[in-house]
Formats: sequence, structure tokens, C-alpha cells
Amino acid sequence: MKTMTPRFQVGDRVTVRDATTMFHTRTQGFTRGQTGTVVEHRPAWIVPEDEAFGIMENGRYTPFYVVRFKQTDLWPDYTGFEVDTLETECSEMWLEPAGKGKK
Amino acid sequence: MSTTHSHAPLEESPLTEFEVLELAVRELAIEKGLFSADDHRRFSEWAEARTYTVGSRMTARSWLDPAFKERLLSNGTETSKEVGVDWLQPTGQGTPSDYTFFYVLENTPKVHNVIVCTLCSCYPRPVLGMSPDWYRTPNYRRRMVRWPRQVLAEFGLHLPPDVEVRVHDSNQKSRFMVMPMRPEGTDGWNEDQLAAIVTRDCLIGVALPRADVTASQVPKQPKGRSGGKKR
Repeated sequence: MKTMTPRFQVGDRVTVRDATTMFHTRTQGFTRGQTGTVVEHRPAWIVPEDEAFGIMENGRYTPFYVVRFKQTDLWPDYTGFEVDTLETECSEMWLEPAGKGKK
Repeated sequence: MSTTHSHAPLEESPLTEFEVLELAVRELAIEKGLFSADDHRRFSEWAEARTYTVGSRMTARSWLDPAFKERLLSNGTETSKEVGVDWLQPTGQGTPSDYTFFYVLENTPKVHNVIVCTLCSCYPRPVLGMSPDWYRTPNYRRRMVRWPRQVLAEFGLHLPPDVEVRVHDSNQKSRFMVMPMRPEGTDGWNEDQLAAIVTRDCLIGVALPRADVTASQVPKQPKGRSGGKKR
């Protein structure tokens, strides 16, 4: 496994890019444009956009992150409670510092 | 249930596109000598024999052995080897589909974890076996991220408002297992006794273990139902 310096640190607020979906992204529609907090680093890996097509040696290797969202941020009419959260993983190319995106 | 049941004609439902694809690729691979039909059968048999009891064992051991729990929470993939599960085998590249990292999610009095895969049906098969049918349905997958408390209530699990429900959508390389809290009434129990109450659904996060419930005992007939229809 390659060691890479992650752009984001645990605790950073990040926004998932609301980019065009080209083939295999593993970035769910419901997270696009949403802001959450980095809670963990994950080992660097080849982004699914390349791996899905077998582009391994020249594939784009990036750090991955666990991002925690408040459910009340993801769903405006969320019917649970304020404390509820959702975690999912994002490659670095799908993240930008919070506030830089549309939301 | 009807007592006069007639057999529907024995017709096979048409194969899906993926089933046709799998058959075609499998037959080609066998023809080319990449593996034999017996290799394929043995692998299928092996894969289908994996069960959640590995997860139960890891949970029970964690309740009794803080050092094991610490290792499991900090490195799930490596610590799985202590209970005989090597995530890098048998393909040498991870589980049959891809390389994965295994993480155990510890429930606390303030956080309840539950797992889902909205993209497909990712599941920690080496330690939980095959996923239940409902776990793979679009219904569970789309509703667990959107209305988690309602879905948990449909499983009979009601959590208080001050407990954070934390949904884990396993969309990338990681696979997750929930480690429930040890329930009351289990003081002095050994690892086997504790493992018996950690059922599959507790490890997914849609149920909590109870001292009086194991997966092997037949559930008691609920009161008021005893006069129900005979089968």
C-alpha cells in the first residue's frame, strides 16, 4: 500500500463535489453537494473510476476518508432525531473544503 | 395456509442477464482450464458455508477479553486471523470480488450502529456469511439511509432519542460488523454462552442481544396466537 499525505485532516469540514457522473463512481447521489466532517482516514487506493475498468498500474491512487453527515443535513424532512448520523467513504477527488461548492 | 394446495407447473423462471453472463464466463473459464468444474463447486460450497457465528465469537471474546477487543477494533482485518478468518484468502486478493478492509463498529450507550450498502449489497461475508435476502433488497437499502428509525422499528427495535443512530453505508472498500453491547443477565457467562446470544441481526445492527434469546431456540409462540391456524 502506498503512503500518501492526505489533503484533509480528521475534524475538517468537507463538501462532496456535485460533479457529473461518468460511469462507476461509488459516490452516492444523496451525498452530492452535502457537507460533513472527516472522522477517519482510510488506506489509499485506486479510485473506482479507474479500478472498475481494470486500470490498476496507471490508476489514480488517492487517500480515502470516512465522512460523517448529520441526517438532518442530508434530508430536509428527516423524521428521526438531531443526533442521528450517516457515515460513508469518499475518495479525495470527490471532496473539497466545505463552503467551496454550491452548498 | 390452504390444505388443498396444488402444485404449480415446474417451470424455471428465465435467467437474468447476470446469470447468463456468469454461466458463460464460468463455462469459458472451465474450458480454458483456469479452474475445473469441481474447483468451482468446492469454492461455492465453501463460500456458502461461511456463517455469522464467526462474528458472534469475536463479539463474545471481546466482551471477555479487553486486549482482544482492542486489537479487533484497531485492526479488524488482522485480528480476524485469530478466529481463523483470513480476509486475503482464498483468492489472495481479498474476498471473491475485491480487496477489502474490515472494521468493527462498537455500540455504546450513546451510539447505535447499523450497516447497509446502498450501491449493491456489500456485506462482511468472511465473518457473517451470506447476507439475508432482505439486506439485498432495494427497499432496505434505500430506506435504511433515509428513515433508519422507522426501518429499525419494523424489525422491532426502538431506540431512545438520545441514542445516536449511526448508519454506515459501505460504498467503497470497507466492510463492517456491528459489535453490540453485552446485555444484562449474562454475568459469569463463558465465551460459548455469550456467543450463542449474538445473532446475525445483532451483528448487522437491526437487533440487540438478549440473555434469553439465541438463534438456535425456536421462538416462543406469542400470547394470543396459540389458537391460530394449524398448518
